[in-house]
Amino acid sequence: MKEIDYFFPKTLEEALQILNENKGSMRVIAGGTDLVVRLKQGQVKEDRLLDISRIDALKGIEDRGEKIYIGATTTHTEILEHPLIKTSVPILHDAIKSIASLQIRNIATIGGNVANASPAGDSIPALFVLNGFVFTKSIEEERKIPIEEFFLGPSKTSLKENEILVGIEITKMQDDEVGFFRKVGQRKGTAISVVNGAVRLKKDSKPNRFSKAFVSLGAVAPTVVRAKIVENALESEEIDSLDKIMYISGLVFREVSPISDVRGSLEYRRDVSINIIYEGLADLFLNGFRRS
Amino acid sequence: MEEAKYKYIGRSVPRIDALEKATGKIKYMSDLSLPNMLFGKILRAKYPHAKILRIDTSKAEALPGVVTVITHKDVPGLNGFGIVVPDMPVLCKDKVRYIGDAVAAVAAETETIAEKALSLIEVDYEPLPIVDDPEEAMKEDAPKIHEEGNIHLHTEIKRGDVEKAFKEADLIIEETFFTGRQDHTPLETEGGVAFVDEEGNLNVYVGSQYPQRDQLQLARCLNWNPKKIRVVSYPVGGAFGRKDELSIQPILALLAIKAKRAVKITLSREESMIAYWKRHPFKMHYKVAFKNDGTLLGVDAYLVEDKGAYSSLGGPVLNLAVEHACGPYRVDNVHVDGYAVFTNNGIAGAFRGFGAPQTAFAIETIMDIASRKLNIDPIDLRKKSALRKGDKTSIGNVLSTSVGTELVLDGIRESNIWKNREELRKISTKPWLKRGVGVALTYQGTGLGVGIPDYGGAILSMNEDGSFSVRVGTVDYGQGIGTSYAQIVAEAMNIPIEKVKVVLGDSFLTADSGPTSASRGVYTGGKAALIASEKMKKTLKEKVSKLFKTDEDNVEFGFGYVYDKVSGNKVTYEELAKNFKEEGKLPEEEGYFLVPTAEIKIENAFGLPHHIFAFSAHTAYVEVNTLTGEVSVLEGAEAVDGGIVVNRQGFEAQVEGGFVMGMGYGLTEHLAIENGIVKNPNFSTYIIPSIKDVPKRIETIPVINPEDTGPYKAKGIAETVMVATAPAITNAIYDATGARIFSIPATPSVVYFAIKEAESEENFD
Repeated sequence: MKEIDYFFPKTLEEALQILNENKGSMRVIAGGTDLVVRLKQGQVKEDRLLDISRIDALKGIEDRGEKIYIGATTTHTEILEHPLIKTSVPILHDAIKSIASLQIRNIATIGGNVANASPAGDSIPALFVLNGFVFTKSIEEERKIPIEEFFLGPSKTSLKENEILVGIEITKMQDDEVGFFRKVGQRKGTAISVVNGAVRLKKDSKPNRFSKAFVSLGAVAPTVVRAKIVENALESEEIDSLDKIMYISGLVFREVSPISDVRGSLEYRRDVSINIIYEGLADLFLNGFRRS
Repeated sequence: MEEAKYKYIGRSVPRIDALEKATGKIKYMSDLSLPNMLFGKILRAKYPHAKILRIDTSKAEALPGVVTVITHKDVPGLNGFGIVVPDMPVLCKDKVRYIGDAVAAVAAETETIAEKALSLIEVDYEPLPIVDDPEEAMKEDAPKIHEEGNIHLHTEIKRGDVEKAFKEADLIIEETFFTGRQDHTPLETEGGVAFVDEEGNLNVYVGSQYPQRDQLQLARCLNWNPKKIRVVSYPVGGAFGRKDELSIQPILALLAIKAKRAVKITLSREESMIAYWKRHPFKMHYKVAFKNDGTLLGVDAYLVEDKGAYSSLGGPVLNLAVEHACGPYRVDNVHVDGYAVFTNNGIAGAFRGFGAPQTAFAIETIMDIASRKLNIDPIDLRKKSALRKGDKTSIGNVLSTSVGTELVLDGIRESNIWKNREELRKISTKPWLKRGVGVALTYQGTGLGVGIPDYGGAILSMNEDGSFSVRVGTVDYGQGIGTSYAQIVAEAMNIPIEKVKVVLGDSFLTADSGPTSASRGVYTGGKAALIASEKMKKTLKEKVSKLFKTDEDNVEFGFGYVYDKVSGNKVTYEELAKNFKEEGKLPEEEGYFLVPTAEIKIENAFGLPHHIFAFSAHTAYVEVNTLTGEVSVLEGAEAVDGGIVVNRQGFEAQVEGGFVMGMGYGLTEHLAIENGIVKNPNFSTYIIPSIKDVPKRIETIPVINPEDTGPYKAKGIAETVMVATAPAITNAIYDATGARIFSIPATPSVVYFAIKEAESEENFD
């Protein structure tokens, strides 16, 4: 492993200053659970690290009425243990619970999971369907970016060289909303997603009808994607049989462009991205679309 | 019950090293640090198959902090090692044959400097065509990996008339099977330290399964008197066959000798996975004949073993696969044709099961297919042909030692899963989740087989405080033989187990007891310890009879003391030790035990047959998600014949660990090598079961089947407990979904597409 300079600012202002002075040659590190692995493999070109894990302003969960704000360096475990998360955004709770192992969740952060921009990042599909926004800061400006516009490709985001991801905002689920997160890995524990996905549905006054649908899928395209055709179908059709659900889920086929890699083949990813949406919707249907 | 009379044998005795291990106090070989120690690093091949044109180490040598750089020129003795054929270079000279081949090595003041020095070593290569398909490699015109050709070994066995069997058959099943390249993934990778001491002895502290053989192999590479090489191998953080063969030891030793300082090497998981031993992948084509009543008429099996680049134990692995190809069944018409073929796909060697897990997957899948086609209960079908004592095995030797096929089948029939399987398979929580139960039977030859020296040795000495030390060359790498030896000595000497000190795996201090492999540790070392104990008791009797002036026959052993049953006089071991000491010397006895072997030899199949076998029946209860191919193993059970069990909790731990290792083999584990390059060299991509994948319950059913030749009638179970788990699971997948698995690991993708295929066949029908 190469030698690196390590910076440990205590305040956000100090951190932004340092980053601005070193832009291009500096990487931001929080939990480090992905970055350190890549450092060891010699895949990090920068030779300076800005550790933002000791900045209090970047930590914690805030109840903002209809919204929830999560500071970038809040760890997965802190998120899971917060009472608001399990009750108001169970989709995010399930997604984060499925990430890696307890030891990793104790140190890895939500900002890291997002900024890392892995197409397989497990929190991301959940943030997509929860109307997520990414908050960034630099010495010049603050930005609020819709999560869908944040990702440009694998490991590529719209973060500028002098910007820090400072937090995430999501919309709470209302009582008339249901949804799920589902992932398929190569095993149950400590697995990286071969395919993952999340769905949120807002119920209409008529049974089996939905006024709003959000569907997202991970690990089946260069970034996490929204499945708009599926969403449109869910908003226009009566979801009254498993056959109907299979028909609608099959539309996922039109929205994914997976690749083959060491974790799974293109064909498997394509089929299973359809099937996990089917499975989750079927589960909800068989449960009478009740919040469990 | 036979065990009731024993104080220690058959009981659940906590491991003698449990506290040290649980608290992290124990130091493994990779934990050792010595003053003024250097760090070694190994330069591996740049290509999986290439000629070496030039090696220039001058820039690395010039780097400050580098103490020693070595290449093939620095190997004073034979530049090769290997238990059977020493064809693996310590450091390659003209050619590299796989991507982990060692070309040079460095010892430096820090790991960072050593790493940097590796990058300064210049090696020019001429890449050669990569040979990665064993069947292509067998062809006449295939590029040769070794000069003698790519077929390392061909073993063919014919008995009876297999063609006639197919003519007479009511049912013929013909299928092709594939098995994966499993890594042992011991917690401790290859690592340790080496140094030359003041007396000129080379000390090598590296995890091993046979220190005395390492000593000899090292002597041959180093041109060094073996008596001056001390190999220490206790404790070891897991081995499973991987540490039977040498790995880093010769390089580490050469660096220490040349640098004249202690050197440490610890491999990262990635380097360990890329560079060292694996289970051989097999391709197997089977054609099997049955009668309608379930009689197994004939087996024709063609086995191709992907040997990887060097021999190691690949020949014996092939032969054991040939021996076990027909399973533990009576079948008189047999043709088994096996090839071990060199490729550039890494290297493979010994691994728990040693050829048996591969063929068990094939034959036990066929038994499952047959039971369904013939409409015979799968246990009844197996019982119909199960080997019994006095029967001839498929390769033609008569079984004269204990045979437990029927006992384990009866045992598994009583398991929770099997008893309740009809109800269990019906449980459905969701329409796409299907449950099923599968069973498989297997056996495993214990010991090394005919023609290979096979013996146990133990030294038992009395200590000044009246305790005893037993010293055995076999190694405790987690399986718990140290505790078993302590139990055997405590039982035989009638002393508290705390009074037995166990010393293992040291080529200077312990008796050569052969390799810690082939399920033979308890059987051979334990028997030798028992024999040494009997000799010790005789010595003590003589002593006490003189002491109390009584006849030797009157001397008996109480718990921790010896007494004269006529006078009632007694003497504690502590007093006895004092007495011995005063008169000169504390007693020491050696026990040696020659492992009995079969009366016949199978022609052209070195090591065959085995004489003593362990038996096990495995069952698995699974839930399959038909939408994704994910398999959950909900519960497992094994009925195991290991003779009389020495340590009940050790037995249970072996069964549970074996089942989970078998799960990994069956469901997830395969080191993917493409064009000679490893694609998944770490635990993020090479998938072993996590605790969340392990079933909540693995039922352990020991069957009582004394093996008269073993210590307290025990025999080994270390391998058989993992061998038939994979087919039990894949048979359960079929039971759940109707999808037949012919290739393991049955990853979600494999299972998913097998289900799709089964569904489309159903629609077509």
